[in-house]
Amino acid sequence: MSAELLLELEDITAGYGKMMILHGLSMRCRRGEIVTLLGANGVGKTTTLRTILGQAHLRSGGVKFNGADISRLPPHKTAELGISHSPEGRSIFGNLTVLENLRAGGHLLKTRVELKDHLGRVYSLFPRLKERRGQIAGSLSGGEQQMLAMGRALMSNPTLMLLDEPSLGLAPQLVKLVADTLTEVNRTGTSVLLVEQNARLALEIAKYGYVMEKGTIALEGDSQQLSANEGIKRIYLGLVDRVDGKSTSRGGCSG
Amino acid sequence: MTYFLQQMLNGISWGSILAMLGAGYTMTFGIIGLVNFAHGEVFMAGAFAAYFALYAAGLPFGVAVVIGILGAVVVGLFVERIAFKPVRGSGMITLFITSFAASIGLRTLFVMLFTDKAKPFVLPDFLDGAYILGDLWVFKRTIAIVVVLVVVGGLLMYLVKKTKTGIAMRAMSYDMQTAQSMGMNTEKIIILTFMIASALAGVAAIMWGVSYGRIRSSMGMMPVVDAFIASVIGGVGNVFGAIVGGLILGIGETLFVAYLPPELIGLRTLFVWIVLFIILIIKPSGLFRANIK
Repeated sequence: MSAELLLELEDITAGYGKMMILHGLSMRCRRGEIVTLLGANGVGKTTTLRTILGQAHLRSGGVKFNGADISRLPPHKTAELGISHSPEGRSIFGNLTVLENLRAGGHLLKTRVELKDHLGRVYSLFPRLKERRGQIAGSLSGGEQQMLAMGRALMSNPTLMLLDEPSLGLAPQLVKLVADTLTEVNRTGTSVLLVEQNARLALEIAKYGYVMEKGTIALEGDSQQLSANEGIKRIYLGLVDRVDGKSTSRGGCSG
Repeated sequence: MTYFLQQMLNGISWGSILAMLGAGYTMTFGIIGLVNFAHGEVFMAGAFAAYFALYAAGLPFGVAVVIGILGAVVVGLFVERIAFKPVRGSGMITLFITSFAASIGLRTLFVMLFTDKAKPFVLPDFLDGAYILGDLWVFKRTIAIVVVLVVVGGLLMYLVKKTKTGIAMRAMSYDMQTAQSMGMNTEKIIILTFMIASALAGVAAIMWGVSYGRIRSSMGMMPVVDAFIASVIGGVGNVFGAIVGGLILGIGETLFVAYLPPELIGLRTLFVWIVLFIILIIKPSGLFRANIK
């Protein structure tokens, strides 16, 4: 808890065009932690990430990274500061090969040596990507595309990695791979902000969590605290069906 | 047989010019979804810049080539600045309309200043003449044009396929926002793409001058349509595809005219549309992989 603050969102009001999606949202991530942002569909989780990246319209409030104000930076500048993004729906470059996608992720690397190093690290995390390096990314399976999106986001050796629903649509063993990889990446020094609907997975690997409702933070706390919270259990951990009637639990139920 | 080979050579020469024009065309088409009719006028402006360097300033041919290319780049950047940048992101149709306006505006301006009369573009000595193989005439200028296509095309392929900038260009064609989040300075890369595309139009203009010996204010009007079709045939944003597309159209058009009875030669412009039509029926996204979503 004594770790320094890495990312601070202060009273954010943001959205797209005239429509504001976030209303007075505040949250923070400490260096070296995995922090998760939970919430149902359409509450503004993705918009929160896009606000950090400078891709949404920020009407008021501020975003600080490493103590510096980044709220008005053009989108390509956030990457230079060490923030990387694995977007919702993966958004891999379907026209490029696996290797070219990874090289795109390492766009800011200065030397070939660095490129080779980081490529080696990504390949060791996801050996499948090495096997498929010459293949057009658009022809990969969903799970491979998720690995590629994560690998691509790791190529810059980021200080902070933003992940948007990495477990979406994946088979259970791949969900586990995603979780293990994030833990491993975090262990080697990258802080993670994880947006998830799979609250069980997220709270398992995260140290701290935020729960969003209608564009703002409704609840926050240590992962254990949140896991024990009755409301969270009821709504997000699949002990009963969610409000919209679908179950979010992928890993089976446990009390 | 000799007639066929002779026509093939003509076709390759014309096809190389279209390939060069199409390669530039497809780059900006891919990266910002721009159907750029003004590319034809950038091409024409390059030809005029080289022409004035040769005849008004009396500069050597090599220098005129450089000035022709620079002229095209300057006009290309000017068009980008006034016609495309202000409306970027507002969709294909808007860009299409402003490119049309820029095309007509520039062409009209040149016609006003220099009329639409053909101006001589005299060959330098080292490109004049031909090698005669039996009955076949292989013009030195044809060889030069093909060599230029191979060299410039090769460099371009290397840039687009192997370099960081090339990967960024193709990534941006597919998903601009994700590319930005990777730290790609998309604004800078778009400008660079326009510069390269315009420089290629300048090279094509010199090839045209060398090949036909004359230039005029309206010279870009029809080739730009061919360049557009070449880039669609080859897969939007695919440089190699556009080069192949340009060669198919150039060779096809030439043979079409060469073997058709004279009374049907008026159908020449129809030919490219027929080719486009047939290829799009067989492969709707073009012969090679497009670089757009």
